[in-house]
Amino acid sequence: MDVSIRMVSVVSAFFWVLLVAFFASAAYSVKDLHLSLENPQLSLTPDGCVVVSIPIKIENEGFYSLGEFNLTTRVADLNGTRITEGSTFIPLIKRGDRIVALHNLTFSVEILMEKGAYYLFNDSSFVVAALISMKLADAIPVKASSNFSVPWGAPFYNFHLEQPTFEPLNLTHIMVSVPISFENHASLEINGEISLHMYNSEGVCVGQGNSTIVAPQGAMYRGSVMLYVYASEIAGKGFFEVYFSTSFFSYGPLVIPHG
Amino acid sequence: MVEENERPKRPARSLIFKAVKALAKSFIIYLLYLFVWSFFAQFESYVPGLQQIAENFVIVYILLGVFGDLVSGTVFQHFFNVARAFFVIGYLTLALQGGILNLEYMGVALTVDLRLFLMAAILLSLLSLAKSMLQAIKYMGEKAELTLNP
Repeated sequence: MDVSIRMVSVVSAFFWVLLVAFFASAAYSVKDLHLSLENPQLSLTPDGCVVVSIPIKIENEGFYSLGEFNLTTRVADLNGTRITEGSTFIPLIKRGDRIVALHNLTFSVEILMEKGAYYLFNDSSFVVAALISMKLADAIPVKASSNFSVPWGAPFYNFHLEQPTFEPLNLTHIMVSVPISFENHASLEINGEISLHMYNSEGVCVGQGNSTIVAPQGAMYRGSVMLYVYASEIAGKGFFEVYFSTSFFSYGPLVIPHG
Repeated sequence: MVEENERPKRPARSLIFKAVKALAKSFIIYLLYLFVWSFFAQFESYVPGLQQIAENFVIVYILLGVFGDLVSGTVFQHFFNVARAFFVIGYLTLALQGGILNLEYMGVALTVDLRLFLMAAILLSLLSLAKSMLQAIKYMGEKAELTLNP
């Protein structure tokens, strides 16, 4: 009996020491685990999708490896409608490893446009739900989740057509100059074209013109579109149809009345 | 043990010896706690009341150990040892919320799955419980032997 009791004592003490030492060192290792997000990069796919790549820098300087690292993000609009979802999985991050992984979020601008031209002309914000999970020391599963909002800057914020000016060219045609202005609140430069179709009150297209636009990020754009229209078909009132075409998206028509 | 029971020490001297032994054990356990706590201190800002939880555990654990040492050589020692094993199981299960620890820190919801640790701790506590039972059986056996063969 004495021997068995002593053996149980020794085994119990040994495993207690082992368990506490493992758990304490695994917990202590967390302070040597560094996770940071670098500046996102934007790129365009051939099928017209914008890919936001967020580099994730992971430095594991703890005592143990990290297993099953997973980062999942879900982007939704303010109504909770899903816009995109991305996931990055790293099966093993060994002790001492420094890894940079890309977390990709693919936005289909066309789909975004379908949800409303609202985002083209109005600033808003998106709700991002992020979930990070990993196995500390390959034994302790840890999950961290958070919701935060990301501001959305409209590429054609405060877009409007100013009062057109009319200048006779010859007996049949008039040159109409339509000043346009907007602010590019988006996080990228806008390079593209704006096409303007002018209609009279009877819905007849009397002329069209286009203008190349280059609007750097955060800048106010002022320009004008020239249209050559038949003098006889111009009435006092009518409307413009505006078409937007950039390397990222196309949108139109936006109908703006005039006169 | 039988020989010790046959030649009982003077009560005062014996009690002082037991008290010194209990004090030394408590001191060692407390030093161990301080050492282990230094690894967990970094989480104090994330887990409210973590130090309080750990200190409460250590205080009760030490007290049960002290009481057990003070009544060593009697059957009550084994009662305290059993109580200590049950206390470890119960306290860890409650403090670790059944193994799934849910925390909230600056808008981040954190879930730590400590079921593996809890399971191992419970198994080891059960081992300590079994040891205490064996010791109690042995003690009672020796007592019975003494009664039969004075």
